[in-house]
Amino acid sequence: MRTIICLRLRRNRRGISNIIVVVLSLVIITVIVSNVVLWSYQMNQLDWERAREDIRITSVTRGTLPPVWFMVQGEYKINRGSRTGGAFTDTQTDNGVYETFLEATAAATYALDMNGTFVIDVFTYPFAYISTIEIQMKYRASSTEDTWFLLAYNWASRTFSNNGFNNTAGDPSPTTWDYYAVDITTQWQSYVRSDGTMYIKILDGQAFMGGKEPVTPPIRTSIDIDFLGVRVIGDWTILTFRNNGPIPSHIVSLWVIDSTSHRRYDADAVVNPGETLSYLRTDIHLPRTQYTVKAVTEKGNIAIYFGG
Amino acid sequence: MCKIVRNKRAITPVLSNVLMMLIAVAGMSIALAASYVITTNLHDIMGERLTVEDVWFRDVEISIYLRNTGKVPIQLAAVYINYTAQSFTPLKLDVQSHGWLNITYSWAPNLVYHIKVVTNGGTQIANYYMSPA
Repeated sequence: MRTIICLRLRRNRRGISNIIVVVLSLVIITVIVSNVVLWSYQMNQLDWERAREDIRITSVTRGTLPPVWFMVQGEYKINRGSRTGGAFTDTQTDNGVYETFLEATAAATYALDMNGTFVIDVFTYPFAYISTIEIQMKYRASSTEDTWFLLAYNWASRTFSNNGFNNTAGDPSPTTWDYYAVDITTQWQSYVRSDGTMYIKILDGQAFMGGKEPVTPPIRTSIDIDFLGVRVIGDWTILTFRNNGPIPSHIVSLWVIDSTSHRRYDADAVVNPGETLSYLRTDIHLPRTQYTVKAVTEKGNIAIYFGG
Repeated sequence: MCKIVRNKRAITPVLSNVLMMLIAVAGMSIALAASYVITTNLHDIMGERLTVEDVWFRDVEISIYLRNTGKVPIQLAAVYINYTAQSFTPLKLDVQSHGWLNITYSWAPNLVYHIKVVTNGGTQIANYYMSPA
């Protein structure tokens, strides 16, 4: 069979030329077609991914919101009084589960004095951008005949103090769940160590003022603390992104637009499918008037948020 | 050698074969070069993607912030506002690079403008934008 083919080819040499031309032409056509098809596939994939990308800006807030709380790091140190129920972990979330403390008795008076250690994440929230610090407590007491104070350890004067706080008069004892918040205002740097450590003290009126009980006969009060936390308030912007698409979104630029300017910021945030990401920027300062925030992804999609 | 001298008719087939080979090689080279050019052009046209990040109506100009989201560098060829070609500062964008395209234009407040950007590869992006009050 092979001999027959060889003989035929020898006799008709033009046939070889035809085969070579056809084969080479086929090679060229294949190269062109495969190149175009592959490139087309890649670009279709790019377009397909872009079409399926679904990124949204769910919120844009300045300062502390959404709240990032720093909670107590261990059990409270009780100087006067006692712990009668729960654990320090119960005071880390505002969920109705609480820790209970009871005033101590001494010479016909009742007092409670305790403190806990809190650590602020100074790497995420640099001192340079903090404008103030807020302490917040959710609690209730067994009687209304008392006043409660929040103090912090002043690292400069080495004493617990509420000097510089926006509220130094204390909070009247509530018998139902109540929030008591104090703002350390501009004095906050005296109350935070360079590594972010803060000592927060809770005192009743007796322990704070050192005087006699305000009511006669005195009432021994217990308090339930559901939540006690510290948060930083500063001049920054927190953007919350939500990726509802099936592929990761890479945000490459942010825009803050108001009536007078269009400011662009480089960004580098990846939001995985189904994930919500809080993205903190210390260099973005939101306008006080109405504004628009835009987030542009690497694939070219734009998420828009209106605020102000 | 002696055989060729004795049989001079054999030279003609050799020459014809050599000439045919040269023609075939030249033809294939042209075909390959043409295919390279065609595929490169197709690449460029198919790989162009452009995103308008922002449009800013300023004093006497309209600034458009563009990002090249495609797979090939892009050079802008023309800009049309309300279907009229406008002069603009030349802009070339590499892959994933971005920049302002400034068009001198006297716009009026509270009007809708149709803006179209055309690249050298023929890609067009067009949309309607409303000028501020």
